Amino acid sequence: MSTTEAAPVPAQMRGGGRSEIRRLLREPSAVIGGTIILFFVALAVFATWISPYDPNTPDWMAIRAAPNAAHWFGTDDLGRDVLSRVIFGTQASLAAGLVSVTVAMLIGLPFGLVAGYFGGATDMVISRIADALLACPFLVLAIALAAFLGPSLQNAMIAIGISAIPVFVRVARAETLVVRTEDYIAAARAQGLGHLAILTGQVLPNVLAPTIVQATLTMAIAVLAEASLAFLGLGQLPPAPSWGAMLDVARQFLGEAPWMALFPGLAIIALVIGFNLIGDGLNSALNPRQ
Amino acid sequence: MKRIGTALAAILMIGSGLVSASAATLRVGIQDDPDALDPALSGTYSGRFVFAALCDKLVDISPDLKIVPQLAEAWDWAPDGKSITFTLRKNVTFHDGTAFDATAVKFNIERMKTMPDSKRKAELAPIVSVEALGADKVTFNLSEPFVPLLANLSDRAGMMVSPKAATEKAGDFAAAPVCAGPYQFVERKSRDLIRLKKYPGYWNAGAVGYDEVVYYYVPDSTVRLSRVRAGDLELAERVAPTDLKTVRDDPNLTLHSGQGLAVSHLMFNVGAGANADTPLGKNATLRQAFELAIDRNVINRVAFNGEFLADNQMIPPSSPFYDSAHKAPARDITKAKALITAAGMTRVPIEIQYENTAGDARVAQIMQSMAAEAGFDVKLLPMETTTAIERYLNGNFEAYIGNWSGRADPDPTLVAFFSCSGSQNVNKYCNKDLDAILTQARGEADEAKRKALYAKATDIYLTALSSIPLYHPNWFFAARKSVGGIVMVPDGLLRLVGVKPTN
Repeated sequence: MSTTEAAPVPAQMRGGGRSEIRRLLREPSAVIGGTIILFFVALAVFATWISPYDPNTPDWMAIRAAPNAAHWFGTDDLGRDVLSRVIFGTQASLAAGLVSVTVAMLIGLPFGLVAGYFGGATDMVISRIADALLACPFLVLAIALAAFLGPSLQNAMIAIGISAIPVFVRVARAETLVVRTEDYIAAARAQGLGHLAILTGQVLPNVLAPTIVQATLTMAIAVLAEASLAFLGLGQLPPAPSWGAMLDVARQFLGEAPWMALFPGLAIIALVIGFNLIGDGLNSALNPRQ
Repeated sequence: MKRIGTALAAILMIGSGLVSASAATLRVGIQDDPDALDPALSGTYSGRFVFAALCDKLVDISPDLKIVPQLAEAWDWAPDGKSITFTLRKNVTFHDGTAFDATAVKFNIERMKTMPDSKRKAELAPIVSVEALGADKVTFNLSEPFVPLLANLSDRAGMMVSPKAATEKAGDFAAAPVCAGPYQFVERKSRDLIRLKKYPGYWNAGAVGYDEVVYYYVPDSTVRLSRVRAGDLELAERVAPTDLKTVRDDPNLTLHSGQGLAVSHLMFNVGAGANADTPLGKNATLRQAFELAIDRNVINRVAFNGEFLADNQMIPPSSPFYDSAHKAPARDITKAKALITAAGMTRVPIEIQYENTAGDARVAQIMQSMAAEAGFDVKLLPMETTTAIERYLNGNFEAYIGNWSGRADPDPTLVAFFSCSGSQNVNKYCNKDLDAILTQARGEADEAKRKALYAKATDIYLTALSSIPLYHPNWFFAARKSVGGIVMVPDGLLRLVGVKPTN
């Protein structure tokens, strides 16, 4: 019995985080993805200083101007600088990705932990609710919620966050089911630790890695969802820029002003690829099974 | 790629050529699927668009908004204005072969006034009784003089359906309507097409140029236009202003445009509930400042490629009752600022609601940007159409971009928006003097005197500015060069008498 009295540290947590970071840096997809995300984060943070014009100031004399020396990405239907609007639009997209996924994780993770750890009726109730939410396609659920809450970036983030909760419940629950049968959990219980202490001290750290991988992948979906909601007029309120809303307007001028659609479209693609690459990289680096 | 495109276009053209050689068919793309095809029940523009081929009316309106004969050849107002007698066209038959006469008119008016879900009741409300004086003479007795009656009879309220068919088919009438227009009903595929064929017994059959006309439901204006360009349709109604260059540049197409009756205006909540409690809702001076802060010409140029008509009145300039003495004020930021200062303010907050359509969204953002320069902090609230309309009808807005289809006569528009109990007076503006003038004008048969009354009304509503009219949309149809004889009328309906293939 004396051997079990040593602190029960799970195998994959040993060696702290340094080896994971080193492994992550060896993953080319993680490096490329990370660079892309960092680039967009920098755009969002320094938007005010980088962008050549105010994103909301129209120029009635330069409507739908093609890309030129003064406006590298051209101007939109109200004569606003597309480059400046793409740069400022980064803020809405990143905010939607980060905030909504954080919301989803903060709510989904505890429920998943509880469901997996206690099992039985608790698991039954939580899992069925999660399943019911999952049965509704992600975007449809987000659109329904956003339409119900009314158009604004904040409501769009809440809608996307709520829609993403069941994914996190499922991931956390599945991992918890594996972890709770481990010897170190039995050991912790034998030591007399309470449920809360075991959940936060033993289970959570082991469930966190796959959840983070899931979070980065969900961010990509959230960015797309924000663009979709904005495209439908359920996101950022005008005139504040959002890539999705820019696409919605650009759609009417595809023939005569393709630059209005091209640049926000490319920005969405780049950011989503960035999140997916970093998610793949994290998965390879953190998943001990690989 | 281009060569394949040309080849395809050629094949399509040959194909359509063969079709039109055997039997001339006019294929028309319409933006909405019409509702019930019964003049008593219809409530959509697209329905009226189809009725223009299917159902003749007692009177019609001309391109210059004059009332002209159709099924009625002449009419006489009684000196007291309380009755009107129509002389009907002879030898007119309905599509089922039954005769059109005074009894049929009496039947139709009574049907529209009494049918439980008739949408024509308000338009015909002043009619107390209808008397058939002979086969071709019919008198309408009115409760009060009501000059706009003729304008109402130039639309669905004046469309005559076959009494036999309406009685026999009763509730199913709309599924296969029987009228007295140039074309008769063949079939309808819901959300797809409506097919009509030429009625050989039409009173003016010689002027009907196509054997068949088919209305295809094509909701997207760009798609409608591409189908006309491909030779897949002969005509598309309501082409977007931003697509007009494409039409003008296409050698196979003709752009048909005309002034409309519609108006787009910014309504301020001046008396409906708590939302009226805004600086702009309470103070006409601030509303005047708002009007001076915006430039209608820029709105028209930026939002609609300058293809619409920037104007400051609810009644379009094409109307004989338009008041040319009240010109739209030019943009004047200094004066707008001075008015705001005079009202004791520096920044004036206002929230503008609108239906989230491309046009309104652009107009809203342009106004927001312009008004900001004068000192208005405009917040925009785009709403999905159904929600927006519900909030509009409940007066649940501080300001709202309204789109009104307009009428041939000024009375329905002005009464609806500015009389104390008007059906569209959702922002609750009320001025007893204006009410009295509008009531007097609807009873005034003398056109010059009536015009003077409307000038007075215009002066009052443009001073109160409970609503700031912004522009009048124009109508744009794109048709293939092979379609001749199209005449644009301000109601935006395609009249098919006189329209024929040119080759």
